[in-house]
Amino acid sequence: MYDIDPRRQLRLRILFAAALGGIAALLVAVVAVYSRFPEEPWLWALFAAAFVYLEWNAVEVNDRLFASPTVMVLMTAAVIFGKETAILGLALMAVIGPLTPADVRERRWFQPIANSGQLVISAVTSASVLVLLLPERIEVATLWRVALATGIAAVVHSMVNLSLVSLVVTKVFGHREVRPWSKYGAVVVPMLGMGFLGGLLGAAYVLVGSATLPLIFVVFFVGRMTFASYGQLREAQESTLRGFIKALEAKDLYTRGHTERVAYFADLIGRAMGFNGTRLERLRWAALIHDVGKLAVPRDIIRKKARLTTEEWSQMQAHTHLVEDLLAEVDFLQPMVAIASNHHAHFDGNGYHGSQNLGHGEPPLEARILSVADSFDAMTSTRSYRVALTQEYAFSELRHHAGTQFDPDVVEAFIEIIEQRGERYGSPDVSSEAEARRRAEQGVTSPVPESVAGDGEGVVFDG
Amino acid sequence: MAERNVHRISAGVLILTLAAGVAALQATSASVLAVIVGAAAISVAQLVSVPAPSGARLHLGIAVAAAVPLLAPDAADTIAVLAFGMAGSLVVTWLLPSARSAGSARFLSDLLAVVAYASVYYVMVDLVTLDPEANPALFDWWQLFALGAGGVAWYAVRAFLQSLVGLEREDLSARYLWLLGLEDWSAVVSLFIAGALFGLAWPTMRMWAVPMAAMPYAFSHLAFVRYNGTRVTYGQMIRALGQIPEVAGLAAPGHATRTADLAVAMARELGLHPDDVVELEYAALMHDVGRITLNEPAILRAGYTDEDIARWGAQIIAESPYLTHVAELVRAQHQPYRRAGQERDLSVPMASKIIKVASAYDQAEHEMGLRPIDAIEQVHRGSAYDYDPEVAASLRRVLTHRGVLV
Repeated sequence: MYDIDPRRQLRLRILFAAALGGIAALLVAVVAVYSRFPEEPWLWALFAAAFVYLEWNAVEVNDRLFASPTVMVLMTAAVIFGKETAILGLALMAVIGPLTPADVRERRWFQPIANSGQLVISAVTSASVLVLLLPERIEVATLWRVALATGIAAVVHSMVNLSLVSLVVTKVFGHREVRPWSKYGAVVVPMLGMGFLGGLLGAAYVLVGSATLPLIFVVFFVGRMTFASYGQLREAQESTLRGFIKALEAKDLYTRGHTERVAYFADLIGRAMGFNGTRLERLRWAALIHDVGKLAVPRDIIRKKARLTTEEWSQMQAHTHLVEDLLAEVDFLQPMVAIASNHHAHFDGNGYHGSQNLGHGEPPLEARILSVADSFDAMTSTRSYRVALTQEYAFSELRHHAGTQFDPDVVEAFIEIIEQRGERYGSPDVSSEAEARRRAEQGVTSPVPESVAGDGEGVVFDG
Repeated sequence: MAERNVHRISAGVLILTLAAGVAALQATSASVLAVIVGAAAISVAQLVSVPAPSGARLHLGIAVAAAVPLLAPDAADTIAVLAFGMAGSLVVTWLLPSARSAGSARFLSDLLAVVAYASVYYVMVDLVTLDPEANPALFDWWQLFALGAGGVAWYAVRAFLQSLVGLEREDLSARYLWLLGLEDWSAVVSLFIAGALFGLAWPTMRMWAVPMAAMPYAFSHLAFVRYNGTRVTYGQMIRALGQIPEVAGLAAPGHATRTADLAVAMARELGLHPDDVVELEYAALMHDVGRITLNEPAILRAGYTDEDIARWGAQIIAESPYLTHVAELVRAQHQPYRRAGQERDLSVPMASKIIKVASAYDQAEHEMGLRPIDAIEQVHRGSAYDYDPEVAASLRRVLTHRGVLV
């Protein structure tokens, strides 16, 4: 799904692994000459073990919240190791950090080598900054310098790390990054905080004594645990909704996978248009629920052969609205329902506005994205009344209605990202509406309703 | 009436506490100012409550109390600080109208837990005679160890006292409350760690000990707040999904919510584990989700059984990897609790039996329009195979407690 040329990608991956690994090896060699190993090897082993454990069990709470205590572990360890031995101590911790047992078992080497490499580069850079800034002696009067130094070093570490990761991601996987700096901005404050705390904990060990060690480690692990349980619950929430919709759609041949694909397209467009964090998450959720109202509509109305009677039409609307109102009672889903229920609204203010009416006029950007994603999938997948159309046809339809039904910026962003990723959807050869309907009539698919009036998914039919 | 008794008892205990504080003050070597500062810190912290993962709230006083023995020169100082601190918190809650009603009961249980904590701590510290001058590091380690033991005592006594409420209340089992009290260990650990870090670091690091002790707790606090928020919206979302068959006209309106409400009350009365109660609630809210399949005309024509509804529902729920167990509960809900020649079919989960009874009762009351006494009679009549008599008895107790049955 990602890149068209797997051979080129493999070459790039080897190149990056070799380059990052090579630079890291060189750095470790240089550091080993100029810096010593920490005087108490057991202490190094303790921190290395904590670091490795936390690296393996990294917690991913959505990207607005960085809950990575690994940087804190590095900063605490650096302060405890002291100026002379911090750089080598940290570099060696970074070498082993990304090697997971799964990688070793499955003999995957490129990724761990590339990861180790970029982690070593980040760790050596930040440890050097730290050594420069740390006071000669740690005492109460110099604590502010310790905390400041570890705060800055933690920011440096994550900046270098993020830059290297996004370099690899853009070059190897061809992901386009718009406004990468917004991502960097988001880490500064949490990282300053983590570094500050890590430095103070390290200083406490130096000033108070070894009895602080159990407390320090409990801080690392309880912190990870609390964030892990939060992240897991969030994931459970999303996967519950996804699973629910997937199971219900699966019953219908023509809608199977529709929501998943629309959520995927919406996510792609959102990223290409510079969404991140909460906004991207909200768009994804809105895409997930955009069709949930239809699950409550009797199937015979959805698949009706003739035009819907007024009564059937209002029954369908009523059911859809009832479900939307139901979901709007979930505090967290309220804004998503408002977006989703507007996905049939037109760019120029015409079209159908949902029950959670946001007012007429231009619908919000999220709803405009959803509208493009939804219509594209409707055109490139088979429906009861026609077979799937080609991607080219769908693109030209999107462009044709850009400015009236669709937002032209969204349409162009979408077409560009799909072409750039080399993904293909829809039929290989059915390139006209009439042909698609004729084939559906001849085909194995069940007898065909003429039109699903008001379904509104395909632009071409209600525009 | 009962509340006035609690107020009277706590007033008596308050006098005893103050007397203990004054007596300890006679023996103390610390300055009076230090005692006042410590006591004031506890009183204020007791007023601040923070969320714990289970949804309960913890009072910050214990974090301060955890630091006291590390900072106080000997036991008499600790007793003085804790006694005046707890007494102060009670007086403050009496002055605040909003906190007054619950304040006395809380004072009594918190005081007992703190006494347990301090006693265990000093028993542990005195078990081994260590000279803080000769070997400060070892002394610190031992102090921390004693603090951990004291913390466990505090935690257990607190949960035990909470579970005592279950002896008084008909609709809550003591076992459920005891297990619920044990849910929040991560928040308790975070609070104790904050106190211990502060207590150890203050003598050398002074004001720097404050951010160092507060920040880890602040991070955990953030996680707890978000966890609780997500827990609430997750529950709301499951409630909404469970109602989709109802708005589609395929199930009786309100049935899912009422069944879940009744089932949760029965589970608490029967003393299920709090984690199981959460799963049971989700399963009950979605127990009729399989009915959404009925909007397929072909299925309506072909006919269906209760087992089909349970199976379809389980299939839908099982799509989420986090809800496989909930799906199992939904799948098992149609099963009889015993078959001919058996005492009980042990493979049927308790939660499924509870849902079956709650759903049947609600149907009898709301869909057949029976009076509660007749609805429960229906359930009792079905006790040969369908409804577990133990669960039916619990339903009767819950309804009696609610005043539905007399």
